[in-house]
Amino acid sequence: MKTKSLLIPLVALSACFLGPDLADRASAQMLINGAGATFPYPIYSKWFDEYVKVDSSVRFNYQSIGSGGGQKQILAETVDFGASDGPMSDANLAKAPRRLLHIPTVAGADVLTYNLPGNPQLKVDGPTIVDIFMGKITKWNDPRLAQQNPGVKLPDDDIIVVHRSDGSGTTFIWVDYLSSVSKEWESKVGRGTSVNWPAGLGGKGNEGVAGQVKQLPGAVGYVELAYAVQNKLPCAHVKNSAGNYVAPTLDSITEALATAKIPEDFRFSMVNPPGDKAYPIAGCTWLLVYQEQKDAAKGKKLVEFLNWAIEKGESMAESLNYAPLPASVRQRVLERIKTIKY
Amino acid sequence: MSATNHRWRKFKNVLMQAVALACALLVVAPLGLVFYHLIKSGIGSVNWAFFTQLPKPVGESGGGMANAIAGTFILLGLAALIGVPVGVLGGVYLSEYGSSRLNWWIRFAADVLNGVPSIIWGIVVYALVVVPMKGFSAWAGGIVLGMMMIPLIMRTSEEVLQLVPNGYREASLALGIPRWRTIVQIVLRTAMKGIVTGVLLALARVAGETAPLLFTAFGNRFWNHSLSDPIAALPLQIFNYAISPYDDWHRQAWAGALVLLLLITAVNVGVRVLTRDRFQKPA
Repeated sequence: MKTKSLLIPLVALSACFLGPDLADRASAQMLINGAGATFPYPIYSKWFDEYVKVDSSVRFNYQSIGSGGGQKQILAETVDFGASDGPMSDANLAKAPRRLLHIPTVAGADVLTYNLPGNPQLKVDGPTIVDIFMGKITKWNDPRLAQQNPGVKLPDDDIIVVHRSDGSGTTFIWVDYLSSVSKEWESKVGRGTSVNWPAGLGGKGNEGVAGQVKQLPGAVGYVELAYAVQNKLPCAHVKNSAGNYVAPTLDSITEALATAKIPEDFRFSMVNPPGDKAYPIAGCTWLLVYQEQKDAAKGKKLVEFLNWAIEKGESMAESLNYAPLPASVRQRVLERIKTIKY
Repeated sequence: MSATNHRWRKFKNVLMQAVALACALLVVAPLGLVFYHLIKSGIGSVNWAFFTQLPKPVGESGGGMANAIAGTFILLGLAALIGVPVGVLGGVYLSEYGSSRLNWWIRFAADVLNGVPSIIWGIVVYALVVVPMKGFSAWAGGIVLGMMMIPLIMRTSEEVLQLVPNGYREASLALGIPRWRTIVQIVLRTAMKGIVTGVLLALARVAGETAPLLFTAFGNRFWNHSLSDPIAALPLQIFNYAISPYDDWHRQAWAGALVLLLLITAVNVGVRVLTRDRFQKPA
C-alpha cells in the first residue's frame, strides 16, 4: 500500500520529465548539420525550430562558428551546409571538391554608433566615416561633421575609434563600404573579414565594440543593426549614393537589396546601391550548399528546407530585425535551388 | 633594551600573521565572488523547464538546456571510457614496472601534455577524427576530453600507487601470488580511493572545457540520437548564448554557468569526502 502510494507520483513525475522528450526522440531520424556566420544565427535557429513543425523527420543543427569557419567546414565537408556573411573568394571556391552554390537568405546592415552627451541624431557621409576610421578626423567638432549636423552641439572632444578585433562578416561589410567610397581606403587598408586598422581600439564581437563605445565618452564604432536595435544604441544616418541621409531600417535595407546589382552566382556586394531610399552599408548573408549532394536522403530534405525558407521563412525575418529578400530575388533563388541534384 | 626588542618581535609577528591571513582571504575571495555573482544572475532562470526542455529560438521565452546537460554527462562518460583505463594502466606501468630512465621520459611527456592548451587538443582531434570521419560527433568530443584526462589520471594514479607500502607487495609475492594478481588485487585495491579521487578531479577539470569541444562535439540544438552525430554540451551552450545580443539568452547563459559550477563543486565535495575517509583510516 505504502509503496504504491509512493510509486504513483514517482511515475507521474518521470512521465512529465521524459514524456515530451521521448516523443521528440522517437520521431526524429535525420540530423543535418551546418556551421558558419554568427550574424544570421538567431533567424536560422528560429527557422530550424519552426521547420520541425513542417517536417518532424529531420532536424537542422546550426552552429555559429563564424563566416570563415563556415567556409572552411563546408570545404572540408565536415558539415552538410555552410553559411557566410561575405561571398566566398574565387580562390576559396576553387578549393571546393564540387560546385558550391551561394544561396542568399536575409540582409542586414552595419550602423555607426557613438557616445556623445545626450546622444543627438548624427548625419554623416561616406568620406567623413573613412577619415574618422583613417584617424584623420580626430575631433567631434571637426568642421566636416559640424557642417553636416547643423543645430547639433558637437563637443570639442577627441574621437575614439572602436573596431572589431576578431574576424567577422560585420567588418567585411564595413570595410567593403569604406573601400567603395574611398580609393585611398581601398589601396591602403582594403577589404576582408579582418584588416589592418589605421586607427582605433579593438573589441571582440558586437558586444565588445558596443561595450567599449558605451563606456568611453567620445567613442564611435560599428555594430550590426539587429544588435544596435536590441541594445537601443544611437545610429547615425548615412548619406547614400543618391545624396540622401538615410536611417538604417529594415525598409532602407530591403530597398538597398532591390536596387543592388545581383550577378548570376549571387556573389554580390550591396554597399552603396543606387536607390533613393537605400541605406548604403548593408550586406547579405548566404547559405553555402553543394550543387551535387552526396547523400540523396539528406540532399532531398535540404532542398525541401531551402524552398520553405525562401517561400515561408522570409516572413519571419522582420520581427528579428533582418531584411527579407525582395520577391524578384526570391524567384531567382528558387530557380537556383532547383538545380541542386541529389 | 631587551623589552623593546621583544615588543618589536611581537609586532613583526602580528604584522606578518595579518598579511598571511589577508593573502589567504584573497585566495578564497574569487570563489566567493564567482558564486555570489552566478547565483545573483543565474538563480532566476534556473527552474524546472531549464532541466527538462530544449532551447527555444529567439523571441520565445522559456526553454532550457536539457540537451546540453545530458550532452555534458554523455561526453564525460565517453571521456572516462577512454581516459580511465589508459590513464590508470599508464600509472600502473610507471609505478610497478618501467625503468627509471624511460619513466623519466614518460613523466616528462605527461607533464608537457598537461600544459598543452585545450584548444590545441581540439585541433588535433579535429584533424585526426573529425576530418577523416567527415563530420563532427559526440565520439570526437569524448575522445578529446578523454585524451586530456589521460596524463592527469596517469600522474595522480602513479603517485597514489607509490604510497602503497612495499611490504604489501613483498608479502603477496612471498605467498606465491603472481605479480599481476598482486597488482590487481593488492596494490590497486589499496590505492583505489586515491585513484577514484584522481579520476573525479580529472572529470571536473574537463567538464568545463569549451575550446576543445568547438570543433569536435560541435554543439546541437536538439537531442543527440547517435554518437556519430554532433552533441550539445553545457560550456558550448553557455558560450553561444553569452555572445548573443539577446537578454533572454544571457539569462540562460548565467543559469547554465551556475549549473555547471554546481556540478563541478559537487564533484569536488565528493572528492573531499572520499579523501577524508582515506586519511582517517591508517593505511
